[in-house]
Amino acid sequence: MAVETDAPVLRHAAIDRLFHWVTAATMTALLGTGLLPIVGLKFDWLDLHWISGLLLTAAVLVHLLRVLTVQGLRAIHLRARDFAELSGARPGKYSLQQKLIHLAWSVAVLVGIGTGIVLMIKAGTPLFARNPYLLSLSTWGTLTVLHDASALLSVFLILVHIYFGLLPEKRMYLRAMTRGWITRAELAENHDPERVARGE
Amino acid sequence: MDILRYGHDAWGAVVVNGLSWGLLPVAAGAGVAVIVIHLVYRAITRASRSATTRRQEH
Repeated sequence: MAVETDAPVLRHAAIDRLFHWVTAATMTALLGTGLLPIVGLKFDWLDLHWISGLLLTAAVLVHLLRVLTVQGLRAIHLRARDFAELSGARPGKYSLQQKLIHLAWSVAVLVGIGTGIVLMIKAGTPLFARNPYLLSLSTWGTLTVLHDASALLSVFLILVHIYFGLLPEKRMYLRAMTRGWITRAELAENHDPERVARGE
Repeated sequence: MDILRYGHDAWGAVVVNGLSWGLLPVAAGAGVAVIVIHLVYRAITRASRSATTRRQEH
């Protein structure tokens, strides 16, 4: 029986696509509210910043819950054998580059969230009464260094991520992240269907 | 260029306030550098691939 090469294969479920775009929107809001005042565009940024941060935190918690209960880490987990792609081996669901950028995003987002939640106590929000004396100045400074580092890493990652997402030869991944699917031919050309079937 | 931003505590001692914002153009520049390097690499590998294809056709 002939297999239709343009038959759609689901790559990202609707909830995962929603997570991606909520993350994109909240990261854009976080970087805009965090960095625009630094480059000279002054506005009342703090409320927008922590609200965006809480939305991102909620999205990440839902994502983690889904990963731990439904998806598993098998497909996105970086393994030594993934480096065989550098000499032509085909990847499973995610390529080496996709796994690396996901890992970098995970570090940037988790550090940003972890430090941001504590820094909300220093800044004062409706959720936490302002208490700048909770920690020493040097500890606040260290947390701010980490928070700033996550912002700068995110600036780098956003540029690289958008560039690769817009490349013509990678456009199928952008389609998969908007409409959910790639074709069977695209899967066979760019991935190892057996590894994908094994959940790798 | 400083890596960190500094301030002072109530006794005048120097304390770290965060990363230097001079690093913001460095982060953006690193992203642009990756893009430019990849575009050059992509152009070279595509050119050599099409040259190989042309040789095989002859």
